[in-house]
Amino acid sequence: MKFTIHEVAQCLNLPEITIERWIRQGRIPIQKSSNGYILNEAALEKWAALYKLPFSMPRKVKTRHKEKRMESLLTAMKRGGVLYDLKGDDVETVLKSAVENIPVLSNNSREEIYRHLLEREHLTSTGIGKGVAIPHPHDPLSDTLESQVISTCFLENPIDFGAVDDKPVFVMFILLSQSIKIHLHLLSRLSFCVRDNAFVEFLKTSPDSAMFFSKIADFEKRLDRADIY
Amino acid sequence: MNHQLLHIFRNNPLGRETLLQSIYFCKQISASPVIYIPKSTKFLMYFDNDVVQIDLDESYLTSPDTALKHATELLEQAGIEPIFLDPKHYTASTLPDIHTNFDYMCCPRSISDLSSKIGLGYIGPRVRRIVRSARFPVLITSSVFKEWKSIAVFFGGSANAVNALKLGFRLCRVSGMTLDVFTMVEKNSRESYEKIVKDKNLEEEMSLYAGKWHFFENQVFEENLYDVPHDALIVLGAYGHHLFKDFVFGSKMEKVQSTISNNLLIVGPNYIATI
Amino acid sequence: MRIFQSWRYPANWNIFRLDDRLLLILMAAIVGSCSGLAAVALNRSLVAMFNWLHHLRHYWWVFVLPAIGAALSSLFLDKIVKEGAGHGVPEVIYSVSRYGGLLRFRSSFSRLISSCLTIGSGGSAGPEAPVVMSGAAIGSNIAKYFSLNDRQRVTLVGCGAAGAISSIFNAPIAGMVFAIEVIIGEWKSVHIVPIAIASVAGTEISRILQGNQIAFSHRLFSIDHMDIFACLGLAILTAAASILLTRLLRSMHEISKKIPAPVWIRAAAGGCAVGLIGLFLPVVLGEGYHSVRMMIEGAFSQGLAILALAVLAKIVATALTLGWGGSGGIFAPCLVIGSLVGVTYHHGLVLLWPAVSWVNEGCFALLGMAGLISGMMQAPLTGIFLIVEITGGYEVILPLIIVSAISTTLCHYIEPASYYLKELVEYGHLLRPGTDARVLSDLNVSELLEKDCIAVTQNMLLRDFINIVKKSNRNYFPVENEETGHFLGIIHLDDIRPYLFNPVMYDTVFLGQIMDANVEVVHPEDDLSDVLRRMDANRLFSMPVVVNNRFIGLISKGNLLNQYRKELMVQTSQQI
Repeated sequence: MKFTIHEVAQCLNLPEITIERWIRQGRIPIQKSSNGYILNEAALEKWAALYKLPFSMPRKVKTRHKEKRMESLLTAMKRGGVLYDLKGDDVETVLKSAVENIPVLSNNSREEIYRHLLEREHLTSTGIGKGVAIPHPHDPLSDTLESQVISTCFLENPIDFGAVDDKPVFVMFILLSQSIKIHLHLLSRLSFCVRDNAFVEFLKTSPDSAMFFSKIADFEKRLDRADIY
Repeated sequence: MNHQLLHIFRNNPLGRETLLQSIYFCKQISASPVIYIPKSTKFLMYFDNDVVQIDLDESYLTSPDTALKHATELLEQAGIEPIFLDPKHYTASTLPDIHTNFDYMCCPRSISDLSSKIGLGYIGPRVRRIVRSARFPVLITSSVFKEWKSIAVFFGGSANAVNALKLGFRLCRVSGMTLDVFTMVEKNSRESYEKIVKDKNLEEEMSLYAGKWHFFENQVFEENLYDVPHDALIVLGAYGHHLFKDFVFGSKMEKVQSTISNNLLIVGPNYIATI
Repeated sequence: MRIFQSWRYPANWNIFRLDDRLLLILMAAIVGSCSGLAAVALNRSLVAMFNWLHHLRHYWWVFVLPAIGAALSSLFLDKIVKEGAGHGVPEVIYSVSRYGGLLRFRSSFSRLISSCLTIGSGGSAGPEAPVVMSGAAIGSNIAKYFSLNDRQRVTLVGCGAAGAISSIFNAPIAGMVFAIEVIIGEWKSVHIVPIAIASVAGTEISRILQGNQIAFSHRLFSIDHMDIFACLGLAILTAAASILLTRLLRSMHEISKKIPAPVWIRAAAGGCAVGLIGLFLPVVLGEGYHSVRMMIEGAFSQGLAILALAVLAKIVATALTLGWGGSGGIFAPCLVIGSLVGVTYHHGLVLLWPAVSWVNEGCFALLGMAGLISGMMQAPLTGIFLIVEITGGYEVILPLIIVSAISTTLCHYIEPASYYLKELVEYGHLLRPGTDARVLSDLNVSELLEKDCIAVTQNMLLRDFINIVKKSNRNYFPVENEETGHFLGIIHLDDIRPYLFNPVMYDTVFLGQIMDANVEVVHPEDDLSDVLRRMDANRLFSMPVVVNNRFIGLISKGNLLNQYRKELMVQTSQQI
């Protein structure tokens, strides 16, 4: 089978110039013919094993799958839904009622999720100021969750969350992610939105889901354009 | 990218014409010339499978004190920063090694023979060996500096010719000049040549870059050459299809170089073209 | 038609694709025969010239003969073939170490003709080095014809050299050992087997055409313990003679370079001087094998003083011939000088200790030859095997080993590089396979280039730069001019780390202010060992590579180690 120098370089993970030079010097069992390079898979595997060099056949390289793009905020939020007028006077009650009402979660996982959220609150408050809180489990719930969920919960009455600026919290964004990487990514995007004071004012009006999601979409467009994580 | 052209400077009026031609070529295709001012008449070029000893004609060594100055003047006039090659390795004390990692090389029709032999119909044996072994195309300049305004590729269907065609596409893209393709229809038909282009997946580039594809029906090749524009850079492969294709240049190549005096960019069998 | 064309690329045939040892053996036989033929041709023509000029020996003007011969040979090399004189074996070694054994085609025959002229007319040189060069060039060009790769070509060059030496001395083992020890420099089975075949081929050709004769046969020697002790003294003496010869050759070369006459006149002058010496001491003329035979027979009867003078005279004559432009090798003169030294030493011993019954002087002549060859070429194995084979005398092996080994070691102390390698080592051109220098010379800056740096411009604000830092995965950022794209300097993350978290600076600092504009740059054509030296001198771990004022990538020590290790493993493998 004939290959181009580019494919050969990819399967050995070496620069093209090096491979050309080794072929010329006779150090690698590949022959050069007029319009390509002839590889003998068995010989080359043996050779690569001898020198502990990585070698994978070109076929596999061609179907390299693209890295999964990071999920966007909007998809996670849509999955988690928006809850309005959540009742409760303190952190525990509010969290409990939120977890009970989030769609998409399986019933046996709710108890566990609630427990994790509470543990995290006891470590340090997730109130980040301006009346916004972001409860989330400390360790990612990779086995209980299938995909990321952000649930937006507007509280009936603002409660004391022990936030950094001591202001009462009126909206909670519950972040449930499968891995730390995704969690950090979503958190970074969310914080970008929350930094905007106009947005916080908008949240205080308890907007309906359509308007809320379109606002989030705007923010994401800006983030994507600026190519920021 | 940063392609480099090797030019061996002859410090006399003939050499000046050649250097001006090299400079113009480099400017058109965004390459940079590397000048070698020879200190001795001999040097070696080690290619992949051959070592060629170049014995320069004595005129290359005229007035060495002014050589550097003249070359620098010409380059600065064209706005190019002068880069000079200083050989680092010597096979013997008077035999420097010139490396061959260049992307182009400029040669007159003959390096080893007297300037009087540089006329039509003659390409020196050393130059032929360089073309055969080199991984880069060789630019053979006409004896007088003339700015070329278009590119003409001679396509004969051989593997060499396909490489020449790809090179033509790239030059067209980088320099912005018009590109014409010329094919001599002999026993095969037009369609067979078009099929070759299609098989190599070059149809798209052909329609994108090539202005017009001329097919010569006249069986006397030399008469067709009048249709080639006088101010075109000719790009062609050195070898053809025949039995001794590794030893001698193709027949069309010989006819071309003995009939027209345009600048020739010759592509050898070891050149791998990218578009 | 395809079959007809593919025979020129045997390396691509299916039987040879997985393992090319059979191919190399086949080629080796061909190459060995061809170089064997070349050696026989030279031998025959020397004999012919000697016979033809013999009748002129009694004329008074005979001392001009070497001058004419040297002048003709140098003219031939310079004007007709356009090659430089006197660079034979070092050129082969240089090409093997750096370019995979590529040699010019003209070298296959040019040295044969020119050395025939020099030696046949009486010059004090040997025919071996030219024939080695021819054989090596034949091997290289056959490899080129069949489009073999570097490794195979190097093996064939070795085969050519081995075939030549084996043929000219009728000594296959010496040919093998010489090719491997001196030309190739590494003992790997992939080289040894084809070279052995080539030696056999060369020897066989020589035996068919010239008969199976041992060059210097002798009577049986009976070696005593005292003689073994005496060898030590002989080793010292031969070492001294080797050093003297090397030094004198170099200085003659230097002197002749300073004289502003054309090359062939200088050669003629050297030849004249040799002719004059030859008038008084005819032993210095020509290759001298005849005198060597006489000395081994014990029939070379001269007084001690004359012998000592002869040693010096031969050394001077050789230096004059080769240093002033004649063409030839030093093998044969070494043999002559060596046997002269041996005989002198024997006479000296007899003078000092007449009571002891020393072995015949022929034996000392043999040992002297071995000592001198080993000392000059610093190749003890070649010396030992050569003498054993050309004299057919295995019983002298014990003193032979002692003399060779000690002579080599003594010479090595004073002259660290052998005669052939001296020039190469001086210019740093000797690259033995598997050494640091070789690995570094094979690797190229372009192979180590890392191109994933993000470039910034000098008028960018720190705020925008922070966004770029977020995306990048390197610590270095090249700064380029906005309009021209020229490289201006480098920013290292360490430079801005203190200011990264100070928002006040975000809009007040331009990158042009914090970049390092005096950074050392590397050019893609730079020598890697030079680059490493600069990195060590400036304590850098990465350097930018700049061409035509454009930044094209970074070269770092980390990546260099990675590639260096792979290169070293592939170069020093036991298999391929």
